[in-house]
Amino acid sequence: MRCGDFRESYAEDMALFETALARRTMVLFLAALVAVPWVASAFWLDVCLRVLIAVIAAVGLNILTGFTGQISLGNAAFLAVGAYATAVLAGRWGLPFPLVIPLSGLITALVGMFFGVPSLRLKGLYLAVATLAAHFVIEFVISHWESVTGGVNGLSVPSPRAGPLVLASDRQLYLLALPLAAGLLLFARNLFRTKVGKAFVAIRDQDVSAEVMGVDVFRYKLLSFAVSSFYVGVAGSLLAYQARIISPENFPISVAIDQLGMIIIGGLGSLLGSVFGAVFITLLPELLRLVTGALATTFPELTTLFASVKMGVFGLAIVLFLIFEPDGMAARWHTIKSYWKLYPFSY
Amino acid sequence: MRLMQSAMRLAVVAVSVAWLAGPASAQEVKVGGIFDLTGITSDVGKPYAQGVRDYVALTNAGGGVNGKRIKLVDVDYGYKIPEAVSAYKRMKEEQVVLINGWGTGDTLALKNFINEDKVPYFSGSFAGDLTDPSRTPYNFFVAPSYSDQIRAWLSWVKEDWKDRTRAPRVAFFYGDNAYGKAPLAAGRAFAKEIGVEVVDEEILPAGFQDANSQLLNMKQKGADYAYVNVTTTGVSLVLKGAKALGLTTKWGSNPYGFSEQLPLVAKETAEGVTGVMPHVPFGTPVPGMKALEDFHKANHPNDTHDAMYVRGWASAMVWVEALRRADKAGKLTGEGVKAALETLKDFDLGGLTSPVSWTATDHRPSTTTAVFVVKDGKLVKVKDYTFPRKPEWLGL
Amino acid sequence: MEFFLQLVVSGLVIGSIYALIGLGFVIIYKSSSILNFAQGEFLMLGAYVCLAIVSAHQVPFPAAFLLTLAFSALLGVLMERVLLRPMIGEPVISVIMLTLGLASVLKALVQGIWGTDLRSYPEIFPTTPVMVGPLPVSQGYLYSVACVSVLLALFSAFFKYSRAGIAMRATAFSQQVALSMGISVKGIFALAWSIAAVVSAVGGVLLGGIRGGVDGAFALFGLKVIPVVILGGLDSVLGAIVGGLVMGVLENLSGGYLDPLLGGGVKEVAPFIALVAILTVRPYGLFGKVKIERV
Repeated sequence: MRCGDFRESYAEDMALFETALARRTMVLFLAALVAVPWVASAFWLDVCLRVLIAVIAAVGLNILTGFTGQISLGNAAFLAVGAYATAVLAGRWGLPFPLVIPLSGLITALVGMFFGVPSLRLKGLYLAVATLAAHFVIEFVISHWESVTGGVNGLSVPSPRAGPLVLASDRQLYLLALPLAAGLLLFARNLFRTKVGKAFVAIRDQDVSAEVMGVDVFRYKLLSFAVSSFYVGVAGSLLAYQARIISPENFPISVAIDQLGMIIIGGLGSLLGSVFGAVFITLLPELLRLVTGALATTFPELTTLFASVKMGVFGLAIVLFLIFEPDGMAARWHTIKSYWKLYPFSY
Repeated sequence: MRLMQSAMRLAVVAVSVAWLAGPASAQEVKVGGIFDLTGITSDVGKPYAQGVRDYVALTNAGGGVNGKRIKLVDVDYGYKIPEAVSAYKRMKEEQVVLINGWGTGDTLALKNFINEDKVPYFSGSFAGDLTDPSRTPYNFFVAPSYSDQIRAWLSWVKEDWKDRTRAPRVAFFYGDNAYGKAPLAAGRAFAKEIGVEVVDEEILPAGFQDANSQLLNMKQKGADYAYVNVTTTGVSLVLKGAKALGLTTKWGSNPYGFSEQLPLVAKETAEGVTGVMPHVPFGTPVPGMKALEDFHKANHPNDTHDAMYVRGWASAMVWVEALRRADKAGKLTGEGVKAALETLKDFDLGGLTSPVSWTATDHRPSTTTAVFVVKDGKLVKVKDYTFPRKPEWLGL
Repeated sequence: MEFFLQLVVSGLVIGSIYALIGLGFVIIYKSSSILNFAQGEFLMLGAYVCLAIVSAHQVPFPAAFLLTLAFSALLGVLMERVLLRPMIGEPVISVIMLTLGLASVLKALVQGIWGTDLRSYPEIFPTTPVMVGPLPVSQGYLYSVACVSVLLALFSAFFKYSRAGIAMRATAFSQQVALSMGISVKGIFALAWSIAAVVSAVGGVLLGGIRGGVDGAFALFGLKVIPVVILGGLDSVLGAIVGGLVMGVLENLSGGYLDPLLGGGVKEVAPFIALVAILTVRPYGLFGKVKIERV
């Protein structure tokens, strides 16, 4: 139970981590995450790496959809832009990764801003449909701009290198991805106590009033697309380094639907929710695989059925969460936390 | 709360590590299988996978590889390259000595990984890119390459064309992926060599439902023959579309679009369609067919099987033999198996497909393929075509 | 010129199928302002169920067809009750996600029960093609054009003159006012979803008959038809029909003329480029109601 928690200055009031306990547990948690590559098997390390990439992408999407209210189905396309940018910058031009990753993010941000222009005139459903069209157009461009993207054969991506340092193993890539993810999450958390972040939220809640009060809605909408796409571009860049070979097949529309699922299950407008959602959706197929693997000896048809079971469970999870917990896992987490905060004096 | 959470997470991870990284028992050989059971090529992927599994079961029933049981760790990757890459990482963890994979796209995607990790990779894909050991030393497959197959079909076109006044005109219809594009370069070069004109190339996007505009385009260019490079379902859609439009083009299919299934799916539109068949139809009276028919009678007498099943069976036959040889030489590792494969010379598969040979410098297993035609709903052999092992065709 | 005409006829004919699916979208949108991303799955499910009834239970086709329609109607009601009821008042993104989740579940069910193989369809239409101008057209397409015309007339009359139709339009306009007027909003939703499911099932069966087979790729039609309904106007029945025909022609023309230039695949992306253009110029489509809200 929290007590003796007094705010004695503005700085304390606006602090990102409100209590010393929160700060300490965050440090311990990060330490535990750093230890993962030495504890986990190669396969689970790969899963954790994919979780980190998903977290960055989910946070990006949440900034756009959860915090600014602009529905976007184009996330898979932006992920692809980031990945291909990395493949070209690192593979063809041989740039070091400290340059490649931010540059991929910036390129994706520019593309995102371009596709954000319709958001001035379109809202809700129409914007979702426009971003869906953007996905197919970008997919077409990638498949046919063979001179740059290698068409359907795809491109191979070398390991990240920076001078003599080469991150050849998954473990080293993980140790690159972890601080990146943590840093980006911290940036996002801070973003929402600045003017820009508050403008985003104002646009989501009541854009007419926001405009009336002097928030330049169009400018901030574009900025939201840009920031969100930057995050997604960085995620795409890490994805390219992890997958080592990318083709248009890595980015079907189901990736965008998965990521929307992550933020909805996790909680729209909540960074913690993005993390929960990303972990949940990424781990779901692996857990299913463990279960079907264990049952495969008794039910051999399960291997064939696995693909449909995976799809069905994903759809079912979304439907159930939306019906029973529309505010997502983050809301449930806060409910549980506040119960324990007052325990045993819950009345 | 967070501390408990992270402690719990570590515990889960630790348990999973112990659970997953099961030690390979001394009496077991682990082989990986990456199959397409639900993706866009599942119509041919499923019987292929069944063929591989059944041959493994037969081998295990007969004592396995010199007494060691084969454990097939198989997975359905739905023809999605990222899933194949994940599956490969899982199999590496299980320490498999060999993998029987499937599609062109993912085999090409994994070729660098398997070269680094020295894991022999048998694919359902017969892409010419995989035949040059200086580039892909660990890739193998059991059939003539797609390039040799399109050459065989083009040779048939040249022989079938009776008009002396001009060259026959050919169109290529291909899927929008690595498998679809694989034989085209070789096809174009060979067509030029033998005097066949390639007038049109049309793309069939994934999941296409109608090819009317592609067919009308082809009609404009006046193709007399057309080669379709997608799986059986796609071929039948094209055939039906062509019939509906009243086209007179003669159709030919690649080895994954042509089997006993085609007349069943395309019905009367399959009449007169030719196809390359490196493996014989199920039930052909060759010596090797007896084992398949016995297994079928004993285990699933109510199923029907086709040439794709034979294909999977033949593939497994070859690598089981390689495992046996490697084990006898005491080197049951990836490198050992590769070396064993390269000792195979004219290894006889009982007529299921032509005999296979590999050397350290040439990974083309065979260069003889048959062209079949559909007559009255049945597959009838037209002719065998054999090509010389030209050095400039290696890796094409 | 002949090439052009052939493409146009081919486009009109496939466009009639798009129009049919678009009709399903529009009916749901017209009454509940929801864009149902699972419409393609309804189509696929209708086709598979009809096939299952015919092949597994040896029921003659006309009876099987009617049974399929009944099943779809029930499915629509079930969807509304289980899924849409809790979604009243939720933001539009949640509803979009719900229909996407529903699409996944339906696809998984179909794949699990019937597998991914192409399943042969019984011969519903005679196979000899009929000459429409320069192009031989299979009879199945003509049936679908006829079907679409009948449904267009039927639904236009329904929404204009029948009580239920007017009630639907009222509910779409404002649920609260409709409720206060004594209209059972829940009943209207159920009716709308049933009708949409039934229309999709008809489309699915027609498509299965024309193709001669059904497989999982039918579900992709759902995404393809979104440009159709945006072009026509999300709440216009006539718009769905016109939009479907226009998109079909556009697709085939771009396939015929642009594919050779750009190397293929243009046919698939052309409707989406058209969609972007429509959204920039006239987001409410050709026949949709215009609601100006610009900030």
